[in-house]
Amino acid sequence: MVNYGADEVSALVLDIGTSSIRAGYAGEDTPKAVVPTSYGFTPQTQDPLDVPMEAGGDPAADAAEIKKKAKLHIGQHGPSMFRHGMEVANPMQAGLIHDFTPIPSLIRYAFETGLSCNAAEHPVLVTEPPWNTPANRERMAEIMFEEFQVPAFYISNTGVLNAFAVGKGTALVIDIGQAMASVTPVVDGFVLRKGLASSALPQLVHAHAKHLLSTPTQRRPGGIQLIPHQLISSKQPVDPAVAPIYSLREDRIPGVTPSWREWYEGREVDEWVMSVAGVLDQGWNDQLAASRPPRQYEFPTGFNDWFGPERFLVGEQYFIHSAQMVASNPNIPKTLPALIAQSLSACEPDLRTVLLGNIVLTGGGSLFAGLGERLSNELMRNFAHMKIHAPGNPTERRFGGWLGGSILASLGTFHQLWISKEEWQEHGKAIVGQRCK
Amino acid sequence: MAGGASAADVRSILALPSPSTPGPSQPKPTAPKTARKPEGISRELYSLIGPSAPSLTAQLAKPRLKQKPNLGRGNKVAKWRVLAFVWRVYVLKEEWQEFSNPGRADSLKLCHWVKATTDPTAEYQFAKYNVPSTVYTYSQDEYNRLLEDKDWTKEETDYLFNVVREYDLRFYVVADRYDYPGGQPRTIEDLKDRYYSVCRRLIRNRPWAGDESSKVQLVASFFYDKDREVTRKKYIASLENRTPDQIAEEEALYVEVKRLEQNERRFAKERDELLKTIAGVDSGLPGVAADDEVQIALFGDPKKKKKGGNGMDIDSPISGPSGIISLGPSTPTRRVQSAKSVAYDALHCILRSDVMPTNVPPTKAAHQPVYLRSSRLPMPKASMAPKINQALAELDVSHTRLVMPTRENCSQLEGLFDAAAALVDTKKVVDKVDQEIRVLKARLAGRASVGARSEGADADSKNQGEQAEDGERDAEGEAEGEATEKADRAVSVAASVRSYSRKRSKRSASVSSVDTSTTSATRASRKRQRN
Repeated sequence: MVNYGADEVSALVLDIGTSSIRAGYAGEDTPKAVVPTSYGFTPQTQDPLDVPMEAGGDPAADAAEIKKKAKLHIGQHGPSMFRHGMEVANPMQAGLIHDFTPIPSLIRYAFETGLSCNAAEHPVLVTEPPWNTPANRERMAEIMFEEFQVPAFYISNTGVLNAFAVGKGTALVIDIGQAMASVTPVVDGFVLRKGLASSALPQLVHAHAKHLLSTPTQRRPGGIQLIPHQLISSKQPVDPAVAPIYSLREDRIPGVTPSWREWYEGREVDEWVMSVAGVLDQGWNDQLAASRPPRQYEFPTGFNDWFGPERFLVGEQYFIHSAQMVASNPNIPKTLPALIAQSLSACEPDLRTVLLGNIVLTGGGSLFAGLGERLSNELMRNFAHMKIHAPGNPTERRFGGWLGGSILASLGTFHQLWISKEEWQEHGKAIVGQRCK
Repeated sequence: MAGGASAADVRSILALPSPSTPGPSQPKPTAPKTARKPEGISRELYSLIGPSAPSLTAQLAKPRLKQKPNLGRGNKVAKWRVLAFVWRVYVLKEEWQEFSNPGRADSLKLCHWVKATTDPTAEYQFAKYNVPSTVYTYSQDEYNRLLEDKDWTKEETDYLFNVVREYDLRFYVVADRYDYPGGQPRTIEDLKDRYYSVCRRLIRNRPWAGDESSKVQLVASFFYDKDREVTRKKYIASLENRTPDQIAEEEALYVEVKRLEQNERRFAKERDELLKTIAGVDSGLPGVAADDEVQIALFGDPKKKKKGGNGMDIDSPISGPSGIISLGPSTPTRRVQSAKSVAYDALHCILRSDVMPTNVPPTKAAHQPVYLRSSRLPMPKASMAPKINQALAELDVSHTRLVMPTRENCSQLEGLFDAAAALVDTKKVVDKVDQEIRVLKARLAGRASVGARSEGADADSKNQGEQAEDGERDAEGEAEGEATEKADRAVSVAASVRSYSRKRSKRSASVSSVDTSTTSATRASRKRQRN
């Protein structure tokens, strides 16, 4: 069937992000399997039957060994369920795969449980962030060919794919994820590496929100206890800003690991940010912030409160850092306008107008309330002919990279680019860098 | 239940040579006589395909034997996948075919859905889009002879050409990825300049098969002026680096200029209107009215009276259609056409309608607004229309489609209608005369037969015959008397019709009515002369 140059070869598309792993068939509009990247593991106690092969190795190798033996809990019921002594880890760091040990398990889970298919029968397209290292992508190719026995493989850049997802070959892609915010100039389907700018801005916003909630204030003398609901046996309704009345599940407390606790608190904060936090559309203004209606939010402990102007302070972090923050932390992540300015200044002057006319705002983090409008206003101030394209459909923004991959892998003209197993065996790792430009 | 089949099972089904002919390992399809739902097929699927697909049942039932672990929601997914498969194979008549891509160097075989009728050995349909860009190559000898450059080594030039080929001449990407180990940093202009200059030199110095102009054209297409590009880029950069103050100032200046322009225009318009009121100068004058024209308008210039004017409107104090207001009844106002405007009219094919009704009061009704000539094509008179149309049709003159309604064509068409009307009139008269002649002849014949019967009356009869002839001649003469004027016209009409029809190169050889009218007319005029 020929539809707009499409030729389906039932390829799989795999998009690994910090918050979730997306997998699905090429040619579809949403990934069928969305699996959290964070996974839980319970370190197995030394099996008495298993004779330790080498004793007294270095501790890092030991840790890796333990992790390998650990029982992994992956998927929706993985880290979010309470298990005694379960640790939670995330293989990603700064948007890159940092720890490859659990990656095959995660991918296997996505393919076999999520899609119920055998990867050995499908060509697989994997995504990578624009700042991915060659070693990383070669490792990914190795996993795919050696562990999953895929017939063909390709690794493509999320910047390019996000541009493709909205039907553009040339674009300035602003991608805000869970860990990283990046600005990627894409020209004719190629990333301009010199113009690439990224920072760990979303992490800063997250940390700021957490700080905001847990710091004691006049209104909330004790700060807010971010206790996961798995640890609470009962609670009573209370008035806003009154100390909560709840009782803990004492039986579970000893089994709580710090990593699980931290992960859950992070999730709590994220949920608060998603439902309450926002950003003003025209810069910070005390009066304007005060005039906006406050929003109520209840935490698992039963504590609830109305959040007024402070909820807009969170979003402000995306655009401007206070002078004292900059002074105290020289390595503070760059704000969005700074990233865009940095990226544009590294591009050819000829290209700037084209890129500004094709700004693509994408990534789950871009769904932050009011962010699109604010960004548009900020940019309008500096650049006259600027046009932001932000998909209105939240799914398209969350899975922009995957969607672009889905489009790319179903194109008839793309099929000559696959790295086949034969080529992998013949040329080895070098082929990845040659083919996937 | 078929839902238990996973993707792998579906693929195993797909791998079959032809879905309609089950392999040897499978049980022979036996048409189930009962309408009972067979095993191994879901209820939804069964209701969709009915009992008429026994081979399908066999195929679907088979994978069920090697049960796979039921994985979460895969159950539901697989069911839909089986349905999709059934749809493709049995409704769309498609096949899961292997294909090889000529764009690939290896032997990778991918599979896709195609119509079952497609030839599996046919070339891959997307292969034609794989067009490599043409990048020049050069030999060591050529490099030594032509391409030496103090800024570039051969190795770096080779590297540049490789990168350019790799990124299909996308210089923005080339400049981004360009990283020659140990080389100096290069800007995009450096790269373009080197690449294009090498190409130019190669084209110039290589033997050229085509003609000289195409070679020049090709060399010109590789033209690159580095200095100009650098300057241009600087301009763009400076344009972008304007401070908000500068931009605001520019904007203010622009607004000011617009305002001045507007003032100027309003002033001109007011002046124009004033002149029109006082001097009656046409508002169509370009810009502000020239002074000499005002003089002419005010005092009248006898030398510049309208050319070809029939003097109809010279002394009439009626305001023209352009709405010029006469200052008083005694002032002879008229449209003045200076030599300049005549030339202007001639240049722009403007025809000023001279004929103006003198006795029509200067009201709105008398005023004839501008109209498209094509909207007012001349039409035959309503009472005569059918006859005229018939006559014209007989002459094979098609008048309904006037392709180009120019003035000449319109007047010609009008002339045609007049001529046709005259023709019809004449025909009527001729018919009448013919009729009379026939009556008289009949009477004569009756008398002759009577004379023949009476013997010895030869001389009489001769006399009578002469008389009858006289009578006939008289009758003709009478008819002629009536018809003379019209007949005269008919000659000219016939001539004009002929000339017209010749012009249209559609003249038919047997134009009966024209011929009769012509002969009768000529005869009539001859007789008139005789008389």
